[in-house]
Amino acid sequence: MSHLPMDSLLSLREPGREPGDAGAREHLDACPHCQAELDRLHQRIAHLKSLPALHPARDRWPAVAARVRGEARRRRLRLAGLVSLATAASVAVAVAVGRLSPPGPTVDPRQIQQFMEQSQALESALRQYDPESRVLDGRTAGIAQELEDRIAQVDRQLEMADLLQHQSREAQRLRLWRERVGLLDALVDVHVTRASNVGL
Amino acid sequence: MQSYLLANAESVVARARTGDPAALEALYRAFEVPVYNLARRICRTPEDAEDVLQETFFEICRSIGRYREEGSLWGWIRAIAASKALMRLRRNKYRETDELHDDVVGHRREDTHLRMDLEAALERLSETSRAVVWLHDVEGFTHEEIGELMGKTSSFSKSQLARAHARLRRWLGEEASA
Repeated sequence: MSHLPMDSLLSLREPGREPGDAGAREHLDACPHCQAELDRLHQRIAHLKSLPALHPARDRWPAVAARVRGEARRRRLRLAGLVSLATAASVAVAVAVGRLSPPGPTVDPRQIQQFMEQSQALESALRQYDPESRVLDGRTAGIAQELEDRIAQVDRQLEMADLLQHQSREAQRLRLWRERVGLLDALVDVHVTRASNVGL
Repeated sequence: MQSYLLANAESVVARARTGDPAALEALYRAFEVPVYNLARRICRTPEDAEDVLQETFFEICRSIGRYREEGSLWGWIRAIAASKALMRLRRNKYRETDELHDDVVGHRREDTHLRMDLEAALERLSETSRAVVWLHDVEGFTHEEIGELMGKTSSFSKSQLARAHARLRRWLGEEASA
């Protein structure tokens, strides 16, 4: 007497009926050997399902979160790039209009120079602190990232400000350099405050 | 694990869709073990399985907005995990160990009725066979779904499963005397 092959036994476990299942079922009802085989198959699968869960040796969430944050940052920068294009278009219009408008308030170039120097000093302090080599907690890293993004935006606006007519340009540059110093100051604060909090 | 998430899954998913890092991490914590377990049963090494775990959750974080809640959350995550694990297999192109062993020592093994435990026997199957067994018998994928994931037909999945079970039966010393 030939017995049911494995594929027939397996197909008897499937929810839908396959051609040949009726014949296989008929054989099964009359064959204790195949009944025992099917029972062993059920048991083997139950055993497979009850194998202990395996756990990863390392926590991979920090790596996933870092990639997600990196992608979100790139997305924001792409978006900022589009905004910059739109701003550039507005600047071009402003340049054209500025030629027809009366001159704005006079800006002392020494003020701009002063903010530029402060900015350089803060960047130098940051370089010495070397934030890239230090481990940040998620919240601090998020704040630092946000500040760095905003500084990058200010830098792009500074580049575009060069397109403006002299007096408007200097007023714009003064405002942007002041903003840049404020952001850098906050960034230094984020790193150094965190460092002093944890005793680094 | 999942019972925690099932209790507030809708709210976690809704927050995760907005990019809320805490919600995304909650998803990871809830499904880390089942995803790793699936990956580890399919991949050859723990390192590969961890990479699959990471790839799976990166994909989940990116595409949670596309999850339509038509099926279970675990069903959606499981499909991504299976796809990533199979992709890893294809990339690594591990040699099909049991095929090789069967060619060389297959008859000898049948004679000796070597008994193994199920873990060892599962490990001894080829990557493809083991993936089919795990996805079908444990994770509940249909042959059609497995065929699609593997870029093959449902018949391929069925025949792989039958061969795998015949081997497991033999290696586990379960063959009944006819």
